[in-house]
Amino acid sequence: MEEEIRRVAGLILEAPLTRRSRRDLLYCGLGGLAGLVGFWILVVLLAVGLTVSVSVLGTVVGLLLITLTLRLSRRLGSLHRRLSSRVLGQHVAAPQRFQPGTGVLGRLDRRLRDPAGWRAIWYSLVKLPVAAVQVYALALTVCGLVDLSYPLVWVLFRRGSSSPLVALQPLAFGGSIEVYSWPGTIPAALLGAACVVAGAWVARGINAGDSALVRRLLGPASMAERVSELERTRTLAVEDAAAALRRVERDLHDGAQMRLAALAMNLGMAREKLDDTDHATVRELLDAAHRNAVDALADLRDLARGIHPPALDNGLASALATLAASSAIPATVTADIGTRPAPAIETIAYFCAAELIANATKHSYADQIKIKIRTERARVLRLEVSDDGVGGADAALGSTQAAGSGLAGLAQRVSTVDGRIDVSSPAGGPTTVSVELPLRA
Amino acid sequence: MLRVVIAEDAALLREGLTRLLEDRGHVICAAVPDGGALLAAVAEHRPDVAVVDIRMPPTHTDEGLRAALKLRHDFPGTGVLMFSQYIETSYSAQLLESGAAGVGYLLKDRVANVAEFSAALQRVADGGTALDPEVVSQLFRASRQRGGLATLTPPERQVLALMAEGRSNAGIAAELVVSGGAVEKHVASIFSKLGLPPGESDNRRVLAVLRYLGPAGS
Repeated sequence: MEEEIRRVAGLILEAPLTRRSRRDLLYCGLGGLAGLVGFWILVVLLAVGLTVSVSVLGTVVGLLLITLTLRLSRRLGSLHRRLSSRVLGQHVAAPQRFQPGTGVLGRLDRRLRDPAGWRAIWYSLVKLPVAAVQVYALALTVCGLVDLSYPLVWVLFRRGSSSPLVALQPLAFGGSIEVYSWPGTIPAALLGAACVVAGAWVARGINAGDSALVRRLLGPASMAERVSELERTRTLAVEDAAAALRRVERDLHDGAQMRLAALAMNLGMAREKLDDTDHATVRELLDAAHRNAVDALADLRDLARGIHPPALDNGLASALATLAASSAIPATVTADIGTRPAPAIETIAYFCAAELIANATKHSYADQIKIKIRTERARVLRLEVSDDGVGGADAALGSTQAAGSGLAGLAQRVSTVDGRIDVSSPAGGPTTVSVELPLRA
Repeated sequence: MLRVVIAEDAALLREGLTRLLEDRGHVICAAVPDGGALLAAVAEHRPDVAVVDIRMPPTHTDEGLRAALKLRHDFPGTGVLMFSQYIETSYSAQLLESGAAGVGYLLKDRVANVAEFSAALQRVADGGTALDPEVVSQLFRASRQRGGLATLTPPERQVLALMAEGRSNAGIAAELVVSGGAVEKHVASIFSKLGLPPGESDNRRVLAVLRYLGPAGS
């Protein structure tokens, strides 16, 4: 029993000397400071945003301020997450990346309903009292260290001085303790030691609470949010598949089927004419039939390639090289692929590249297209298509008119496998579109 | 010689059809690419028959069918031959709702046999019926009257199918390479086995058969 008490007392008293304590105090300092600053910035932005939104004219400005606040809160959240990971060693995964909607209203709506952004705001608000305690824990420790140093300070600097030393004490009440002699510094040092021990434990306690908050509010979305996100992208995937099938049917109907019907018609007419002596007409009909057969074959080949490019079987690099070779604007491919991605991912990357090259050919007036494909950290496949053309493709991503086609369509298709697309295309160019896909769907 | 209006959105087929029918001595009053233009052309030219593609702009769904139904209502004197890459049972049902006189529904494939296609067009122009064998076999498959059909002999089933396509007794005899008398005997036997009223004109006969077969006529 006695031994037990001694052991616990030892643990309590030794706490300040541990490496963990130093980390706790460092986190209290950095995290507390970041928390205090972040709180005030967000509160001011939110308050101004909400107040301005109330008036009719200010709604737009207010909404913009609120979306700005939401973006900033995500950034602050990531800062806190990094601090927690570097200093305390608590690794919390980042929340789901923000998925921009299509069109101005769509983007605004998605941003205002960004759950990770709002949770990050909550964290910043709740962090205020937490940060206050953290800063206090740091102050306790500093006071304690100063008091602890008094016996030494007295010996070194105070011999013969008449003014008293004032011992720091961390409570707001109880006044201050004045020391007039060396023996008087002993109680001050004891008080300092107590402060140091208390500071270490307060820091440890408040950091445990803070860590829980970080996990709860700055981590990945809750299961329910993830499910609704998956439901949304699954809908996109199903719609995309249905649309692809419709396109194939349409292409068959208007292409190969139509040409084969014309071919049958030509042959039927030629057969009717066989008994006549009119060989010129028969020849002409057979020529037409032949032409239709060749065109039907070409249509079918294009269609088959559109469903699955055969070159993909040899890997993305060779498929993209084939694609680049048939581009109207000179295109180069740089490939650095470590682990081979899943076939579905390769297919998506290929069609993204095809669409982006087609876009560049149609709209950019570029002289040169650069296609880069590489794997990163053995987890991510990054496709970059850039051109030196006139730019202005950002607008296409935002316009509702483009929804379901072009860049917006690509963004949808990519989001079905948790990928993302970034467009940098200022007016005047150059344009770089970067598509990031996981290696496994 | 027939006066024909063609509605078909694919230029290749539109021109091919025009040439084929002109070759056969028919007069093409107009060849148009969509339903609206079809209605206007028929109102203007009052042709004997219109050849109508089902899928046309702007919707690329059943434009042609809707235009055809309107034609049947507004210009009963003009035969309508639907011409499509697909056979849809619901389309044939809608088309036959207002009677089988002057109605046709053929797959585009049939144009390969110019003589038969031409004969079908003539039948429709004359107020008869021309249903694609595919339509008929779908009806046979979907028929709720399997019991009755099972009592028919194989030659009788063949004759029933040709009757449903809209052929006359003479046409059936030519197709099966038998005498007219033999066909008449089969027809009489079919009518009595299935309990159909003995029909006089070809298209009333078609209607009776379709009604018997189920979805399309009922």
